Amino acid sequence: MGCFCLKKLGHKPGYEAPINLASETPFTVNEVEALYDLFKKLSSSIIDDGLIHKEEFQLALFKNSNKQNLFADRIFDLFDIKHNGVIEFGEFVRSLSVFHPNAPEADKIAFLFRLYDLRQTGCIEAEELKEMVTALLCENNMSLSEDVVDLIVEKTMMEADTKRDGKIDDEEWKEFVKKNPSIIKIMTLSDLKELTLAFPSFVMNSGVSDLQQPVKN
Amino acid sequence: MNQPKIKGRVGKYQVGRTIGEGTFAKVKFARNSETGEPVALKILDKDKVLKHKMAEQIKREIATMKLIKHPNVIRLHEVMASKTKIFIVLEFVTGGELFDKIVNHGRMIENEARRYFQQLINAVDYCHSRGVYHRDLKPENLLLDAYGNLKVSDFGLSALSRQVRDDGLFHTACGTPNYVAPEVLDDQGYDGAMADLWSCGVILFVLLAGYLPFDDSNLINLYRKISVAEFTCPPWLSLSAMKLITRILDPNPMTRITIPEILQDEWFKKGYKPPVFEEKDDTNLDDVEAVFKDSEEHHVMEKRKEEEEQPTTMNAFELISMSKGLNLENLFDAEQGFKRETRFTSKCPANEIIHKIEAAAKPLGFDVHKKNYKMRLESSKAGRKGNLNVATEIFQMAPSLHMVELRKAKGDTLEFHKFYKNLSTCLEDVVWKTEEDMKEVK
Repeated sequence: MGCFCLKKLGHKPGYEAPINLASETPFTVNEVEALYDLFKKLSSSIIDDGLIHKEEFQLALFKNSNKQNLFADRIFDLFDIKHNGVIEFGEFVRSLSVFHPNAPEADKIAFLFRLYDLRQTGCIEAEELKEMVTALLCENNMSLSEDVVDLIVEKTMMEADTKRDGKIDDEEWKEFVKKNPSIIKIMTLSDLKELTLAFPSFVMNSGVSDLQQPVKN
Repeated sequence: MNQPKIKGRVGKYQVGRTIGEGTFAKVKFARNSETGEPVALKILDKDKVLKHKMAEQIKREIATMKLIKHPNVIRLHEVMASKTKIFIVLEFVTGGELFDKIVNHGRMIENEARRYFQQLINAVDYCHSRGVYHRDLKPENLLLDAYGNLKVSDFGLSALSRQVRDDGLFHTACGTPNYVAPEVLDDQGYDGAMADLWSCGVILFVLLAGYLPFDDSNLINLYRKISVAEFTCPPWLSLSAMKLITRILDPNPMTRITIPEILQDEWFKKGYKPPVFEEKDDTNLDDVEAVFKDSEEHHVMEKRKEEEEQPTTMNAFELISMSKGLNLENLFDAEQGFKRETRFTSKCPANEIIHKIEAAAKPLGFDVHKKNYKMRLESSKAGRKGNLNVATEIFQMAPSLHMVELRKAKGDTLEFHKFYKNLSTCLEDVVWKTEEDMKEVK
């Protein structure tokens, strides 16, 4: 019954059946099918191989495939769960599920911590924070003197690094986010709630068997 | 597949009785089993959709309907599909059809008709502003909710009903062209907005007269009457109502009255209340309200802040989260997405920024409320989604560098963007970089 005909649609390598992905994430099968629509668009913008390459990711975010950006790189690395340099469909859906409005807040907080832990040491060091602030200012063409950047970083470290060891650990991070909830706003994408309306193409190719949605005339 | 009715389940919806049936769709009552909310489930057969080459159109129309959130338009909640069917989940209303009122109680008094007509025009105007045309406004599409508010259905889903007419065979079977504008009958390509307006005029006539302006058992005669707008107003119509109807039922779309002109019409304006929007989707409203709520508790807190005379400082992580690389919303087709907030940076002192915004907003018709470094700008003019209401806050990024955030608290997002454009030209000497500049960099 609920078997998906891979042969019929000729899916590219890296494809995973929506029904499986739906069972692991807050998404319904139809929503995963709608996400596939978005994924197809993103993964074919430069090379149509069913995989999102770094350049394609940059193109989607910045409308420019050569735009280097520290934060986009970090997101890409976290989405690339298998660390093989590309984002596969399953990785795409699983990673985006953290951004779902209904996803647990703890997951969002942890994801962002890993993202900001540039060198993956298990802590966000003051140097990493400075690197990120500098990158943000540079991205927006804002030139501030190094003293001012240090000041911004120090001030935040004063508040976040309660153990005063020059780095923010997992525990301190959770406390800091609790006091500054606006920091995790970027971890919620309201668009994920309206997927079926945003990418309605799936309606013609849905593989959901009629037995799963039994409506008789 | 004509089997006996079986109550089933589609996704999270419990499906009940059939409440309507058309050429392409069957509509069933259903209930969201998570929230208990009743919905109308429109069920289409993919075979039929494909046979009539409507697939592309339906997809496009669903995507457009996503943009329509108006209290007088039936909401499209979500779309589902299986291998053979498409399910469109729509808002369900219980007040029946508007025209049942005419059928049961005869024509309406002018005040009652005017209220429905005002709601109809609001709905139509709002959809048009988003590039969505109905093209098939007729009695069956005008529903009422439990409170007697008008709800226009099938906006943007015209493919489902129109296709029938395009297909010559169904032409007459489709029923009455009584509500169709002359230029549509002419089949020469037409302006959707003007054609919708004509239909609104016919609807207004029926509400006030109790019968159709154009009617004839002979189709040829009917077409002729419509094409020259041959109708007679009943004697009980007020002069101003008659004047308005005549301006709408102008067979020439070029000289026909427009919606902005209707909004200024003497008959229309009487007792006019702009639509009330329940902005359920707008997040972050509470904090805006809280700031301006005059609770004592708040006063105390604000006082303490005032002593410092400093705007809130943005911490390093808040700063970082402004990066475009972290804003995954851009993956979801940024083209049509207008954001509800925008930002710019300024090297001016915070007080000066406040003064400049105030000076710029007032001539644009905004009331300005200030509290420390937060402001609320309220438009005195009613827009398409009620009065525009903008919350602004100034943050300190670094000494001598401020970030100004403008957020739409209420009103229409398109109007918010227009306002921001106006405002930013007045603030040229204050703005160092706008979000647009930030985006366009390299």
